[in-house]
Amino acid sequence: MDLKLDDDMLNQCVQCGLCLPHCPTFRVTGDETMSPRGRIKLMREVQLADAPVTDEVLDAFSSCVQCRGCEPACPSGVEYGHLMERTRETLADEGMMTPAWQRLALKPLANPTLLHAGSKVLAVAQRLKLVPGRLGISEQLPMRQAPLETSGDDVFLFTGCVMDAWQRDVHAAGQRVLEAAGFGVTPTNELAPCCGALQAHAGLTGETRSLAETMMANLDAGSGAEPRPIIVDSAGCGAAMKDYGHLLDTPEAVAFSARVFDIQEFLALHLNRLPTAAPIDLRVAVQDPCHLRHVQRVHDATRTVLRPYVRELVELDDEGLCCGAGGAYSVLEPELAGQIRERKLGSIERAAPDVVASANPGCSMHLGSAGANTRHPMQLIDDALNQ
Amino acid sequence: MLNELKKRLTGKTDSSGDAFVDALREAISPERVKFDGAHRALHGHDASVFDGGNSGPVVYPETTAEVQAVVRLANDHGRNVVPRGAGTGLAGGAIPLGAPVVVAVTRMNKILEVDVDNMIAWVEPGVVNLDLSNTLRPHGFHFAPDPSSQQACTIGGNVANNSGGPHCLAYGVTNAHVVALEVVLPSGEVAMLGGLDAEPQGLDLRGVFVGSEGTLGITTRIAVRLTKNRPEVRTLLLSFDSVTDAANTVSGVIAGGIVPAAMEVMDQRITEAVENYVGAGYPLDAAAVLLAEVDGLDAGVDIDADRIAQIGRDNNATAVRLAETDHERALLWKGRKTAFGAIAQIAPDYYLHDTVVPRSALAGVLEEVYAIAKRHDVLVMNVFHAGDGNLHPLLIFDAREEGVLDRVHAAGGEIITASLDAGGVLSGEHGIGVEKQKYMDRMFSGDDLDHQNRLRQGFDPFCRTNPGKVIPSGHSCADIQSLRNVPDKVWG
Repeated sequence: MDLKLDDDMLNQCVQCGLCLPHCPTFRVTGDETMSPRGRIKLMREVQLADAPVTDEVLDAFSSCVQCRGCEPACPSGVEYGHLMERTRETLADEGMMTPAWQRLALKPLANPTLLHAGSKVLAVAQRLKLVPGRLGISEQLPMRQAPLETSGDDVFLFTGCVMDAWQRDVHAAGQRVLEAAGFGVTPTNELAPCCGALQAHAGLTGETRSLAETMMANLDAGSGAEPRPIIVDSAGCGAAMKDYGHLLDTPEAVAFSARVFDIQEFLALHLNRLPTAAPIDLRVAVQDPCHLRHVQRVHDATRTVLRPYVRELVELDDEGLCCGAGGAYSVLEPELAGQIRERKLGSIERAAPDVVASANPGCSMHLGSAGANTRHPMQLIDDALNQ
Repeated sequence: MLNELKKRLTGKTDSSGDAFVDALREAISPERVKFDGAHRALHGHDASVFDGGNSGPVVYPETTAEVQAVVRLANDHGRNVVPRGAGTGLAGGAIPLGAPVVVAVTRMNKILEVDVDNMIAWVEPGVVNLDLSNTLRPHGFHFAPDPSSQQACTIGGNVANNSGGPHCLAYGVTNAHVVALEVVLPSGEVAMLGGLDAEPQGLDLRGVFVGSEGTLGITTRIAVRLTKNRPEVRTLLLSFDSVTDAANTVSGVIAGGIVPAAMEVMDQRITEAVENYVGAGYPLDAAAVLLAEVDGLDAGVDIDADRIAQIGRDNNATAVRLAETDHERALLWKGRKTAFGAIAQIAPDYYLHDTVVPRSALAGVLEEVYAIAKRHDVLVMNVFHAGDGNLHPLLIFDAREEGVLDRVHAAGGEIITASLDAGGVLSGEHGIGVEKQKYMDRMFSGDDLDHQNRLRQGFDPFCRTNPGKVIPSGHSCADIQSLRNVPDKVWG
């Protein structure tokens, strides 16, 4: 069947296999069908040789975390992430992937009222011990959260969906750090309910496009005004929003994507505005979220901004291999996600930190639910500034 | 997840309809014996351009006993066996011919023991080459063979191909770094070849096994020698206006009595492609660049680096750059080591040769390579382990273009002839596999090949382990027989 992939992009892969060790699912299974090279080969078999889309082929595609760790490793510049997103989109359109219950589960993300109501139900259920551990919700969900207030109009702080419902304290810390650097902050709240990353991962690209259009319209700078930077403290959301230019393929979308900054990236560009503070007395290991390291490729910024505020900054020894969180992946593929996490936990153990700094809510929850002590870099800097 | 659920609800597992596959599933584990179209399609290939592999079942053993069970079952059922590591081979050594069972050792990936005192590590065959060195580095050691695919390739594959790498110039190829091998022989017996003693007794069967490309059995445990990390390293990048000047510099360095850790040359086209990927600051206007590395003690490396720079200037080097930081050095090497993959920016297919010529003949053979490619209207790039004369002419093409494959093969044949005529050999490190097989009789006489086949049959009388490889068919009739034995309508 036609997966609607660009033949040239598909042929760009020379099957050299240099991606294999950078793929978390190949690392834990040793199985070629669970590797980027293998998946691309299967895309070719399906699209160019009309091979049947069997259960095994679907497994190969749905087992991909979409961490895109293979992309920086690829000397041929294969755009694997886009190939996989398009493959999933086609298969979802054909009803072969992303069943109705998954589509339904993703609906509330774009609807803040529904999401916050659902989240409250979950928080109550959690207190009644009704939430199964496999959902990977490590922390006690908040029952009530103070709203984020606008402090100025220098930058937008993207608040998003699940993260705002479950980890608004991270947004609050990020906002305080931005303010300490002298930026007036407008939290996006209902202006930008959701970035659409999880929908795109599931092949529901149409939904992502419409969310992108809504957000672009709402965060437009207005006539004449200087377009404001849009600051994102979730690596996955930032990566998705930086991809709107590619997704919508319009000059407006390209211009919008250029306004999107990861919060660490943005602060690293304005390092001289950050106040000094005594470092907090912690040994901190940096865990690079895949969409910060492999997609946005701005992970060095985390180190740049964090280093002055902590006693010791240490690296993990796994060269940025994925932790297995992958947005909804840890819920959809719990077994593989768990095996992948084991590797990451081993790496954390060898680094022996007091705390793991993770700039993505999915990673921190996934690692946290296995006992790792994770904080967002902004929370650590906020602590240092307010101790 | 739904499949999983369905399986759990219905208790249904795939029924293979084949007694051999069922026996494998019983002996190993149903989850680690694959017989579906997707797995078989993917294991019909490695990183070579050879198209025409046909895999039977694919198994992922985790222990020596499991490998042994697979080999014994294959014998009982009269089936062939092909071992496979990461599938990064460039000569088709892991291509399954005649629908054999493919034994993928990727799950046998444990570093079993690191014995720093005796400078030995025991590893399983699926351990990734670079992982081993990364694990050893904090102890002050590394594994010296560093093929360009080292981030992905396995130690088992290195043993099978007697792999080299840029740094093998000073340290020797895989054979010099493997002291003992536990192998499952084609009969299903487990044997230990070589040993930890300084002088193991008897014939050096370990030496026979290393580089046998999976035709003598399957390696299940490997004792590798650890190489001490050198305290100081200097990496030089020299630019030239001609490939000949670069080649002459290489000869000059060796003639001058210096043994650099590595000496690598890339021509302009390939340099452009890698620079585009790594951004290491490779010069785009040089006809050729020479990457030279020396290591050792502080005072010595500076002297050697200066001498190499001087020899380069004597041979018309247009620029000499010394890597200032570890990061800069790492980027330069990343460029060199990802060169083959980077060519996809230029064309989607490549045919890579691997001949070795005497260093003194380097410049002449290179000129001939460019002339041959031009004659056949094929784009050629040269990137090579200059220090030991190991050429890697890459013929670049788009297979969708009509008639291009014929031209590529014709040019390849002439390049090989030119190399052999200059006193060279067919393969430096990639192996013969299926790709270079047809050229074997240009290098060996019929008697040579018959004797090689006899040695092989000493291990594998029925030619069931990686059949159809290395030795050309006229000299390995048992192979042909064995390949014809593919059961009809079962698979294939």
